Amino acid sequence: MEGAGIWIEGLSKRYGGGETAVDALKDVSLWVAPGEVVGLIGPSGSGKTTLLKCLGAVIEPTRGRMSLGGQVIYDNGWKIPDLRVLRRDRIGFIFQAPYLIPFLDVLDNVALLPMLAGRPNPEARGRALELLKALDVAHRSHALPSELSGGEQQRVSIARALANRPPVILADEPTAPLDSERGLAVIRLLHQMATQYQTAIIVVTHDENIIPTFKRIYRIRDGRTLEEVGEGQAVALVARPEV
Amino acid sequence: MISLAGRDILHAPGRFMLTGLGLGLLIGVTFTMAGVYRGMVDDAKVLLNNSGADLWVVQKDTLGPYAESSSIHDDLYRGILGMPGVAQAANVTYLTMQVRDGSADVRAMVVGFNPGEPGEPGYLIAGRRVTRSHYEAVADVNSGFAVGDRIRIRRHDYTVVGLTRRMVSSGGDPMVFIPLKDAQEAQFLKDNDAIVNERARTRANPALNRPGVPGLLNAIEASQTSNHNVNAVLVRVTAGRPPEAVARDIRRWKHVQVFSRDEMENILVAKLIATASRQIGMFLVILTIVSAAIVAFIIYTMTLGKIREIAVLKLIGTHNRTIASMIVQQALGLGLIGFVVGKIAATIWGPAFPRYVLLEPGDAVRGFVIVMLVCSLASTLAIRAALRVDPATAIGG
Amino acid sequence: MTPEVADSFFQRARRSFPRFALPRQAWLAAIGVLLLIAFGWAATSSGPLAPTRVTVAAVIAGDLAPDLFGIGTIEAQRAYLIGPTAAGRVKRVLVDVGDTVKAGQLLAEMDPVDLDTRVASTVAAAARGRSAEVTAEALAQDARSRRDLATAEARRAIELARQGVVGQSALDSAQQAARAADAQVAAAEAVLAGARDDRARLGADLGGAQEQRASIRLSAPADGVVTSRDAEPGSTVIAGQAVLRMHDPGSIWVTVRLDQGRSTGLMVGLRAHITLRSDPREAHPGAVVRVEPTSDSVTEERVARVAFDRLPKGVSTGEMAEVALHRETIRGALLISNASLRYRGAQSGVWLYADGRLRFVPVKTGAEDLGGHVQILDGLSAGDQVVVYSERDLKDGSRITVVDSLGGKGK
Repeated sequence: MEGAGIWIEGLSKRYGGGETAVDALKDVSLWVAPGEVVGLIGPSGSGKTTLLKCLGAVIEPTRGRMSLGGQVIYDNGWKIPDLRVLRRDRIGFIFQAPYLIPFLDVLDNVALLPMLAGRPNPEARGRALELLKALDVAHRSHALPSELSGGEQQRVSIARALANRPPVILADEPTAPLDSERGLAVIRLLHQMATQYQTAIIVVTHDENIIPTFKRIYRIRDGRTLEEVGEGQAVALVARPEV
Repeated sequence: MISLAGRDILHAPGRFMLTGLGLGLLIGVTFTMAGVYRGMVDDAKVLLNNSGADLWVVQKDTLGPYAESSSIHDDLYRGILGMPGVAQAANVTYLTMQVRDGSADVRAMVVGFNPGEPGEPGYLIAGRRVTRSHYEAVADVNSGFAVGDRIRIRRHDYTVVGLTRRMVSSGGDPMVFIPLKDAQEAQFLKDNDAIVNERARTRANPALNRPGVPGLLNAIEASQTSNHNVNAVLVRVTAGRPPEAVARDIRRWKHVQVFSRDEMENILVAKLIATASRQIGMFLVILTIVSAAIVAFIIYTMTLGKIREIAVLKLIGTHNRTIASMIVQQALGLGLIGFVVGKIAATIWGPAFPRYVLLEPGDAVRGFVIVMLVCSLASTLAIRAALRVDPATAIGG
Repeated sequence: MTPEVADSFFQRARRSFPRFALPRQAWLAAIGVLLLIAFGWAATSSGPLAPTRVTVAAVIAGDLAPDLFGIGTIEAQRAYLIGPTAAGRVKRVLVDVGDTVKAGQLLAEMDPVDLDTRVASTVAAAARGRSAEVTAEALAQDARSRRDLATAEARRAIELARQGVVGQSALDSAQQAARAADAQVAAAEAVLAGARDDRARLGADLGGAQEQRASIRLSAPADGVVTSRDAEPGSTVIAGQAVLRMHDPGSIWVTVRLDQGRSTGLMVGLRAHITLRSDPREAHPGAVVRVEPTSDSVTEERVARVAFDRLPKGVSTGEMAEVALHRETIRGALLISNASLRYRGAQSGVWLYADGRLRFVPVKTGAEDLGGHVQILDGLSAGDQVVVYSERDLKDGSRITVVDSLGGKGK
């Protein structure tokens, strides 16, 4: 049994069939431990988006094995009956843009997830407020997303991703819209939250600025992953933990 | 759980409200059209009720006096009065014509009646009933006349002494009640030029203008200018007698056509109003379709504007049915606002219509149900679009 | 107003009321409440759910002047047709329409044709008859004188015969002569009587011819005004046809027709006011001088004749008039407006308004005046509130609200 966090083994995704088939992912394997923030870098077209989509249970891989938070979700076929519930309760999403719901205020944007999970409104809002405080953006609880700065919005989206205490967070270029200072601040926050809530976070990025912050980085090219360690550290293959 | 539909509307209430207002005006027009139809049927019922009659005696083989012209002698009522079961029998005349008040011409139905007998308006809203045997009139308030006005009907001037309400012909023309003799003359007598012309012709006819028989010419001219016909006899049956039995007797012995209240109502509603009601029915269908199209379009547009948010919601784990219910709630909310605005608008502008607009509570309830149904159906377009959204599109931009 | 403007309005409203927690919600809630109120008003204030508006008035005790009304035509009681008694040709007409004429005045003349010669011949015949009478008179006188002589001679002969002077035959012849003279006298007197009769006959003939001659002279039978000239000189008219018409303007009256059903109390002597259609502003006083014993059964009207107290100037026959006849004022009657009367079947009644509720009360009505006031004989008391005007027909359970007036100003 794989440990908690993110565990992928031999994941492949083929689009189309016959002559026009495209292998977006070829036998990808990686792991992220709980509390760890791992980077995933690679050129466009390398399959990182496809990988995120598989991890996010929005597309079905062709082959392989995935487990999130200690639960096998895919083993050459979905092992979970309701993927939507999986996404809601076990995965947090941080997008390229904050993608906050524009007609809900900040508090309700974050509280929406626990409410969807069935929590009563006061409890959901309480938890949301906690998270917003942790991210130092609680003073904007009743503002609409359109009234926040880019950095504040991104922090709210992080809070939302954490709202249902998922074991896994998938972050897709979270620093893309931000300048270097804010970008670093966001990554530092992610590290902080990962440690605090023991969440496994995988960050897809090609922002040169933040790469040095990762202890481990996976490089993906042409649908295959290569592990790399942070710059300035010895490049060594790290052994996988025992299953 | 919060109401996503409500929050979305509150976020941009202007567009929603304005659409609701526009939809409401359209629904108001729909209510008004239905009200016009109900008003026409009510006009017919009121016309029959206000005449105070149980039976209508008209010319044989006609559908008169409202649907067809009917002419009977004015002394027929005496024979009818003597029949068993008849409590009152009165002559009446009806003629739709132009009535002049100053320089304005009003199209009205001039009714000839005898005071105290069927045919007289049952209640007034101003003034008094007619007391003189000639040249006084009671008019419906729709005609625009006021108490004290002098109006001209054919050759004579009449003083309006009283006003009534809801006394209209089945065509919507206001009624003007004048004494029977004046009405008989008005119905028959032509204008002065025609009379002079007629006299000259009679004089030129040697068979009629005989010098050896003085007085013959005068007698002929007098008979040419007198009218002893009326359009119908209204009969009130003694309390307790079945009207149909009395009608049978009259039909058999007097060689006339007799209609009961139900038969008259059927004639008015089924024959006179039939074409108009079909037209109105078509209008209602068209307006409903247009309203549905508008709701569908607006909700679809609102949904398309939220495609990205819907993808995000789906990705982060929102149920399809939650999203669908948000859309349906918005459509129903729009419909509710439209219904309320429409009902208010129809009530406000109803009295301004030339015809009587009757808005029944039952129609309002039916209208509400239809509006809700139409809105739900109209939202299916948007719901289909929302369900087709792929949550994967939220990832990767 | 575009949606964007509406939205920005709300946003500006939010910013300008920073103290309000959720100003947008408050605005929208206020609009929602307003809509609900308006909707509630719409649902209940009109249509079949709304209460019927009525006005009420109290039954008052007062005086009632129950007038009768009828329309009439100006006519002349004394109107004459002037025309010949025999067919003829009109020779001349001396007057024209509008001329005032005196009784006996020559108005027109027919062509005498041969009447003059006939008159002349009868005059001659009458003269001849007179001469025949004179002759017969003379002859009779002569016969009488002869008879006297013969009688005297016969007497003398008798005397002489007694004396024996004359013989019997002389006596006989004298007596026979006396008898013959008697007979001659009788004959002569008979001829005289015949001549007298003849003269009378001829005189009557002359009278007749003269009368005929006179009849072609059309004279006014009384003082009056010529109203029409129907034949011009040269036209042929038959007996009985009018050449001229005239009437006595002093005999002008109004022939008034009243509905039989509304003519209670019509009698001679009622004071009247007559309004001519040609002058509607003035009401001329007058009185009923005759009520016709025959009514019109076809038009169901009674006919009365009303004379003017003072004949107005310039009035013409055939003109229409409206006449109000005044009956005796009824004092202390219970009065309501006739607009309050409602009918249930043939039963008349009113809607009594008491304790906020309606009740239909049958009433018995008495006289009515032309202004719409009706006397109540039975069913109500002074001070009762009755419904006068209503928006709709009332029924026993109708919901009502009392208002001051129902408008009805029109236009």
